[in-house]
Amino acid sequence: MTTPNWSQRPGILVWRRRTSKTLTYFALAVVTVIMLYPFWLMGQMSFRSLNQYYLGKGFSLTTWHDLFAALPIGHELLNSTLITLSSILVILAVSTTGGYALGKLQYRLSGVVFLIIISAMMVPMQSMIIPEFVNLARLGFINHYYGAILVYSALGAPFATFLMTTYFRRLPEDVIEASLIDGLGYGSVFFRIMLPLALPAIATVAVLQFIQIWDDLLVGLLFLQTPAHRTITVGLETIPAQHFQDFPMEMAGSLVSALPAVIVFLIFQRYLVRGLTMGMSK
Amino acid sequence: MTSQEAAARLPRVRRRARRSPLVAQRRRMGILFTLPVAFLIGSLLLIPIGQTFYYSFTNWDGFTSHWIGFTAYTNLFHNPEFVTVLENNAVMLLALPISIVLPLAVAFLLNTQLRGWRIFRSVFFLPTAVSWVVIAFVARRFFDPDKQGILRSLLDHTGLGFWHPDLLAHEHSALIAVMITFIWSVFGTNMIIFLAGMSTIDQEIYDAAKVDGAGSFTVMVRITFPLIKRFVQFAFIISLITAFSALFSLIIVMTNGGPGYGSTTLEFFIYEQAFTENNFGVAATAGVVLFVLVFTVSMVQLRLLRSDD
Repeated sequence: MTTPNWSQRPGILVWRRRTSKTLTYFALAVVTVIMLYPFWLMGQMSFRSLNQYYLGKGFSLTTWHDLFAALPIGHELLNSTLITLSSILVILAVSTTGGYALGKLQYRLSGVVFLIIISAMMVPMQSMIIPEFVNLARLGFINHYYGAILVYSALGAPFATFLMTTYFRRLPEDVIEASLIDGLGYGSVFFRIMLPLALPAIATVAVLQFIQIWDDLLVGLLFLQTPAHRTITVGLETIPAQHFQDFPMEMAGSLVSALPAVIVFLIFQRYLVRGLTMGMSK
Repeated sequence: MTSQEAAARLPRVRRRARRSPLVAQRRRMGILFTLPVAFLIGSLLLIPIGQTFYYSFTNWDGFTSHWIGFTAYTNLFHNPEFVTVLENNAVMLLALPISIVLPLAVAFLLNTQLRGWRIFRSVFFLPTAVSWVVIAFVARRFFDPDKQGILRSLLDHTGLGFWHPDLLAHEHSALIAVMITFIWSVFGTNMIIFLAGMSTIDQEIYDAAKVDGAGSFTVMVRITFPLIKRFVQFAFIISLITAFSALFSLIIVMTNGGPGYGSTTLEFFIYEQAFTENNFGVAATAGVVLFVLVFTVSMVQLRLLRSDD
């Protein structure tokens, strides 16, 4: 028998495991506080009036009342919802059809088209947004919902199509062949067989795009300049200009604008995780 | 004999006759189904980026433009403001190692699948859902030098009250505040990428290491890290692209690029040149520089992903 190693003695082993566990939980608790603090701050500050904020104590509904009185929050939320959902619909329409074509119906130039779409994914928004703005202004598309919807759709379409293509490519070929033997055409195969199979990928694209578009500022800022068309994120950005240094109101507005995306996140989180890592598995 | 041959041939001929319309249909549908996405991306992404390239050689003001050729580029790189902007982008790179190491460490902790790890994962991932505008508002409260500022009261409560940095007020420190906020924001995304990478590792490898007497630190450095290297590269490049091309909203609300040009990065410079200075041509030239930077980095990423297969 070898001499027993002191660190292998059960008592010390248990002690070590316990301290390491305690330390781990302590570290995770610290990170939790850092990650959740902004949400707590928004909540807490939004229930203070400006005076109470400076005093650092007391709570009231003044800020919430002022927020809804001073800003067309409801209207902005409606605009955001309309624009986000319409853009998602357009993105889904073009990315599912495109993904099916590029993933399953490869034709002579489909490889080139796929490469172009991957390249389009890598165009930074700021590099193309200025000519885009000038072009759409020339067409009279500024301050119309459809202008912003088109821009959001174009920005979201490359990655969505990339995801869809890789997803369709992985579906077995036999499914299509069996349906063709049953007399379906390639068009009905898409609508009856492929779309239902693609629901997880569709959910992934929808959730990714919801958060992206709901949270966007730049497109809204440029393409929807009239208050009547403003999205909630743009409306939020204008609070400091209208209510100088009204920090509680900034926080209340932040909370309202963040809530829908946070709810979508909490419900569909696993699709978001899949979307992030799907680019990895190619 | 001939009838037999004909009989043997018959099904093949018939099959081909039945197949070829299908092949034609497949091609037709393929092209038809590609058209919407091709049209959308072509007209609203590819044409504008082409225009950016064209206008980058002109003195465009949004309406008229004159070709000035490569002078546009030499002018831009001789512009001291632009040089400052490029330096700011270079400084942003310093935030990247931290934005990788912190979530990597936490992913290691969560990967032991201790009780409640799923809840921690959700909580740490949550900021992904929040817009840069909201983050910027909160960050301004955090760095506020007044009595209500969070950083300040934090320092006061930890006995460091003699030190009240006002990061946002100084040209050389505003970018640091932006970088700290950036690290907070990408923490969750990177952690999720690392956890996804770790979930691809076979549990048996860990068991084998444990049998061999490897401590958890050794396992982390010698086993987990090499096996998820690909995911670390991926996170690094995603973070780099975010730092260079997704912080516009954060910067406009948090610092508006200032003080001076202290926190103006390339993407913000483009916006500013076009929409506040009316130098559309300069914005286009800078737009090409940003495009080349981001595109090159992305191509490196594709290479990395390909080469490991």
